[in-house]
Amino acid sequence: MIRYILGRVGQALAVLVVTFTAAFVLLQALPGDAIMIKFMSPEMGLSAEQVAEIRASYGADLPIWEQYLKTVGNFLSGNFGYSIQAGVPVRHQLAVNLPPTLQLAGLAFLAAVLLTVVLAAMSNMVGMGRLRGALQSLPSLFISIPVFWLGIMLIQIFSFQLGLVSVISPGPVEKLVLPVATLAIPISAPLAQVLMRNIDEVLAQPFVAVARAKGASRSWVLWRHVARNAVLPTLTIAGILFGELLAGAVVTEAVFGLSGLGGLTYQAVNNHDTAVLQAIVVISAFAFVTINLVVDLLYPVVDPRLGHRVATTT
Amino acid sequence: MVSMRTILSAAAIAAAIGASAALAQSSQPVKGGTLVYLEQQAHTNLYPPAGGFYPNGGVLNQITDKLTYQNPKTLEIEPWIAESWTVNGDATEYVFKIRPGVTFSDGTPLDAAAVAKNFDTYGLGNKELKHPVSEVITNYKASEVIDSLTVKFTFSKPSVGFLQGTSVIGSGLVSLKTLALPDDALGDATKIIGSGPFVVQSEVLGRELVLAARKDYAWGPARLAHQGRANLDVIKYVVTPEDSVRIGALLAGQAQVIRQVQAYDEKQVQSKGFTIYAPPTRGVNNSVVFRPDNPLVADLRVRQALLHATNAKEIVTTLFSANYPLAKSIIASTAQGYVDLSAKLTYDPALSAKLLDDGGWALGPKGLRQKDGKEMILTAYESPPQPQNKETLQLVAQQWAKVGVKLVVLAGDAGSRVADSLDPIKTPVAPAMVGRADPDVIRSQYYPATRNVLLQKGGLATRVQSFVDDKLNGLLEAIAAETDYAKRMALVGEVQTYVIDQAYTIPIFEEPQAFAASPRFKDFAFEAVGRPSFYAAWLAPK
Repeated sequence: MIRYILGRVGQALAVLVVTFTAAFVLLQALPGDAIMIKFMSPEMGLSAEQVAEIRASYGADLPIWEQYLKTVGNFLSGNFGYSIQAGVPVRHQLAVNLPPTLQLAGLAFLAAVLLTVVLAAMSNMVGMGRLRGALQSLPSLFISIPVFWLGIMLIQIFSFQLGLVSVISPGPVEKLVLPVATLAIPISAPLAQVLMRNIDEVLAQPFVAVARAKGASRSWVLWRHVARNAVLPTLTIAGILFGELLAGAVVTEAVFGLSGLGGLTYQAVNNHDTAVLQAIVVISAFAFVTINLVVDLLYPVVDPRLGHRVATTT
Repeated sequence: MVSMRTILSAAAIAAAIGASAALAQSSQPVKGGTLVYLEQQAHTNLYPPAGGFYPNGGVLNQITDKLTYQNPKTLEIEPWIAESWTVNGDATEYVFKIRPGVTFSDGTPLDAAAVAKNFDTYGLGNKELKHPVSEVITNYKASEVIDSLTVKFTFSKPSVGFLQGTSVIGSGLVSLKTLALPDDALGDATKIIGSGPFVVQSEVLGRELVLAARKDYAWGPARLAHQGRANLDVIKYVVTPEDSVRIGALLAGQAQVIRQVQAYDEKQVQSKGFTIYAPPTRGVNNSVVFRPDNPLVADLRVRQALLHATNAKEIVTTLFSANYPLAKSIIASTAQGYVDLSAKLTYDPALSAKLLDDGGWALGPKGLRQKDGKEMILTAYESPPQPQNKETLQLVAQQWAKVGVKLVVLAGDAGSRVADSLDPIKTPVAPAMVGRADPDVIRSQYYPATRNVLLQKGGLATRVQSFVDDKLNGLLEAIAAETDYAKRMALVGEVQTYVIDQAYTIPIFEEPQAFAASPRFKDFAFEAVGRPSFYAAWLAPK
């Protein structure tokens, strides 16, 4: 088991190194850079010599491999460099923007899981009849709602029309209600789809009929036998959905004007702020890799059969 | 025993007195209150010369004072931090007398030494700290502190625009502590120490900025009606990128002022009793410019043909409102030295077609003009900060298509946009505008060493092969150096005519800055180029 974990951690590190390098190469390959965008834009009215001096002062005139080594060294020592556009250290920007995004993404994920469980449970409750069909089609509806539109609609209805929450000067909890809903609803859709389909599949298996024949109640069978079997693919999807959570956060934060990694990414992409993007890519990759590692390690816990397989193959 | 009726009528009288007192007060400025101001974009680096970017200017204008004050109505330069000044005959020496008793919010004095250090930095830049040179200061040589309240500036060549240059947001005065910080640190608003009526209290980077009134502020521009501290207690800037959220929040009472209201939203805002403010930017009009280094537009007849193929009136009536006046020259009609050239800017597709025919561009099979096997396909990038620029360019493209010229409008990312905009082959056409209330703005816009919108040789654009217009540059240099007001205005007129005769640019409209405000918000003022000033503003009670 320890060898398995070490192996997975090794893979995760390799993914990080590859991501870092790929991001560096791709960002270098883009036309223009942050220095050009900021200092060569006509508003600055600088001469070619002045721009060259600025370029040299940022070390942007060094050969690419030298810049790469420098960046690697800086990252290892925890120095993420400066945001050229915003004129502040990247560390400072991350300190401001990372916690709210983690909070938003974390709460939205919890809300999405809750919504998924409620939907799946309700659609399998006795006596739902026709409502079952309606409930099962909700995920397809949710998945086709653009985050952007949903956010604006929620703001228009709950803040501007009904005046229930303020968007501009909200309290600490008030601030999260609408953004979490905006992000959670589309994320819950694929989760619910997978979970509902799996529940249906597991319900059709012979052992369920046996359990029912033995006199177990429908809900007992659902919770004790079906849920555990159906949750595994959902867990895999949940790990992958993390990326979508970040992408959704970009849009949600822009609509609600929240500070966060989303807004930071948006601005950095617009301005080719390489140092900022590099840090965001590494942090996102780290989070992605960690979450998927945790999901992998959870498999044997949820399904003991997998634990045996891991133990025998490694 | 007092009857219920007595109590009720007493209450009614009290309410009536209260109401009439409130009514009487509503025309008198009220002290206190918090203004919530919604910005579309976050501010970037707040080094004052970077104040041309509107979100930066909107902040800097409240927290810094300027040496002089440009009256937005008369455009005259009036005293502010400088009580008086003298300029020598050829505008190479300026001496300013500083108002005594002014302090920065960190307690240090705003004296001759501080002013000297500010302009040394803005005029010469600072390599070590990466501070660039200010666009509005030309030919700067050195400063000299004559006594604690007198400072002299010298210039290597005449610098007529300098006096007006001391009044702009880009010349906001900051404390020596701020100037000692590297450019990398100036994105943090709390580091910007000015002497203005408001002080930065807190900031959530990229999201929120809180300014508080400085209680001991007593040095506003001498000729302003409002004196002493600002009326408002607090200004809260909230970055709200989404247009519909800004407008919704204003109408729902969650904010009192918003910046950037598109023309198509004006009616909705006004119909609810809110006010649209559209102060002019008074500079070079919103235009489409040519890069004659590109062979496709090197021929004067082609440029003239496209000028006459453009129906600016249709653009203004289709996309904009009365707040966007039709351009009648390369500069705004509210700018100094403006000359009405509308007779030369006619929409005339027949003349346009003739000019293209004369230039050898015959209509091809696809309805596209061609010459020597080359098709007339031009490219331009949209400029996101300009109002509805994409729609404007697309409408221009439709108009040009009618005479057989194709204009491709690209969005592109910022990197490609800046890189390609410096290459005349890739962008023979570009949108352009700039605001500043001094004729020097024309030089800024066209001169090769500054904004260089025509992409002449000698600027940042290294891909330019040969295009230089010595006559134009001579006129621009003369505007920067001419000390006689009447002669300077004559040159400003001459350059407008020359640029239009050469069809270097197609002016479209005079660009305003559009704000919307709650009816409770009073005495909302703007500096000469349309950035908000909240010094005298106040909020009437609900």
